[in-house]
Amino acid sequence: MFRTFRGGLLIGMAVAIAVAAIAITYERYDTKTLKRTIRRGDVLCGVNKGLPGFSIPDDKGNWIGFDVDFCRAVAAAIFDDPKKAKFVPLDASERFKELQSRKVDILSRNSTWSMSRETSNALYFPAVAYYDGGGFMLPASRKIDSGLELNDSKVCVQAETTTQLNLADFFRTNNMKYTEMKFSKLEDVIKAYDSGQCDTFTADISQLYALRLNLGKPGDHVILPDVISKEPLAPVVRQRDDDWMMIVKWTLYAMINAEELGITSQNIDEALKSKKPDVMRLVGTEGAYGEELGLPRDWAARIIRHVGNYGEIYERNVGEESKLKIPRGLNQLWSAGGIQYAPPIR
Amino acid sequence: MTKFRHLIWTLFAAVGLLMAVSPSFAQKPDVGDQPGLIADENVELDPQFKRTAVLYRTSEPPGTIIISTKDRHLYLVQGGGRALRYGIGVGRDGFQWQGLVNITRKAEWPDWTPPPEMIVRQPYLPRFMAGGPGNPLGARAMYLGTTVYRIHGTNRPDTIGTAVSSGCFRLVNADVADLYERVPVGTKVIIRQKPEL
Repeated sequence: MFRTFRGGLLIGMAVAIAVAAIAITYERYDTKTLKRTIRRGDVLCGVNKGLPGFSIPDDKGNWIGFDVDFCRAVAAAIFDDPKKAKFVPLDASERFKELQSRKVDILSRNSTWSMSRETSNALYFPAVAYYDGGGFMLPASRKIDSGLELNDSKVCVQAETTTQLNLADFFRTNNMKYTEMKFSKLEDVIKAYDSGQCDTFTADISQLYALRLNLGKPGDHVILPDVISKEPLAPVVRQRDDDWMMIVKWTLYAMINAEELGITSQNIDEALKSKKPDVMRLVGTEGAYGEELGLPRDWAARIIRHVGNYGEIYERNVGEESKLKIPRGLNQLWSAGGIQYAPPIR
Repeated sequence: MTKFRHLIWTLFAAVGLLMAVSPSFAQKPDVGDQPGLIADENVELDPQFKRTAVLYRTSEPPGTIIISTKDRHLYLVQGGGRALRYGIGVGRDGFQWQGLVNITRKAEWPDWTPPPEMIVRQPYLPRFMAGGPGNPLGARAMYLGTTVYRIHGTNRPDTIGTAVSSGCFRLVNADVADLYERVPVGTKVIIRQKPEL
C-alpha cells in the first residue's frame, strides 16, 4: 500500500513536471508561426517607423522601402499576394520584445545582426539582407578618395554610438590622428558638418546617403567607398521555429539567386518556359523544392513576379532608381564585385 | 518689305521640307550613330554613369578592365577592394557579347572605317571617316583583341547608359581620355553579359 502510494506520488510528480516543462517550453518557444500566419491570412511585419529607402509610409500611407519589400516577398511566397503583408511600426528599443511576444511574425527593420542579439533574446537572424557599415562623407573639393588619406582630420560624429567606437578603431589601427567633433543629436552633427566645422562626417553608409540629401548642396559632397565596420542588416525571427525561419531565409536567397540567373519581374513568364536546369529548379518547373518549405512549387516565381529579384528591390528603394542612389557596393552579387551570395537551390 | 516676305516664305519652305523628310529619318533605327554630329560635351550624365570610385571586390589584378553589359558600367580594377567605375553605352539586343580579350592597340581621335557587316545593316553610313569631333568613335579608341569591337569615345554622350551600339563600348570623351591614360596596350578586358534564361 505504502509502496504503491509512493510509486503513485512519484509518477504524479513526474507527470506534473513534464506538463510544466511542456507549458514553459510552449510559452517560451513558438513553433507555429507559419500555421498561424496562414490561419490569420497575413504576415505581420515589424518595421521602422520612418527610414527613407528602408521603410516609410508614402503620402498615401502605403509602406515603401527595402525592408518593406522583403516582407512583401515573404507574403508573396506564402499567399501569392504581396498585399498580405501588414506592417507594424516598432521603435528600436521595443522591437525585439515585440517580436518575442508574438506581436509580429518577422522583424524586417534595419537591425544589425550581432552575436549577443541572437543569443540573449532567443532570436535568429536568418541571412543578411543588406550589408551596411561605417563610412565617410566629405566635400568633393577636397579630392580625397580613400579613408587612409584622412590623417589629422576633424571628424563629425554622433556621440554614444557604435559609429564613434568604430571611428576610434579605424584611426588607431591605421596610425592616424583625428579630432573628434561629437554631438549628441544627429541634427547637430549635420549642422556642424554643413557649416564647415568638420573635414569629414562619419556614420553608416546608408545613413550618409540619406543625410546628404538634406545638405545645402548635396552634389558638393562625396561618400568614400571605404567600409570601416560591419553592420549586417538582417530580418529577425524567433528561435526554435525552424519551418518559419527557413521560409524567411530562402525568400531572401530566392531573390539573390534570381538576380544571379537573370530572372526579373519583367521576364518571369519567359523564365517559366526556360529549359536551363538552375532556372527550372528556382521557378519550380523542375523538382518540388517549395513543398519541403511547406509552400507550393512556384513559391520563388511568386516572389519574383510580385516583388522582383534582389537587384530590383535594391535599385528601386535605395539604388539608382531611388532618391538615395546608394551604389551596390558590398550588396552587389559576389560575382559582380560585392559579397551577396546565396546557396544554390538544388 | 519684299525682303521680309521672302524670308517668311523661305522659312515656310524650310519647315515644310523638314516635316517631309523627318518620317524617313524616323524609319531608320536609332542606333546612336550620327556621323558628323559634334558632341555636346556639356550633356549632364545620370549620376550612376559619372566616373566614380566604388567598392569592388575581385580576384582580378589591378589594371584589369571589367565590363558589365547589364549595368552599363566599365570597371577599372584598382586593387584594395575598389575600382574606378565609368558609365558606358553597350551593344543593342543581339549585339552583346562576352569573353576575355586584350587591348591590342590604342589611338587618339581615331579614323572610322565601319566594318562591312555594319555597312550591310546600315548602308547610309560612310565607308570611311577621318578622326575628329564629328566622328562617332570620339576622342580615343582602344581596340579589343582581333575583334571589330572597341572601347571608344562618342559624339552622342546622350547614349551613355543605353544599349544601341553594334557591340562596341562607348564612353563620353572626357572619360575615354581618362581611361586611355590609365591603361596600356595588353590590358586584360573581361566582358560580362547578363545571363541567358
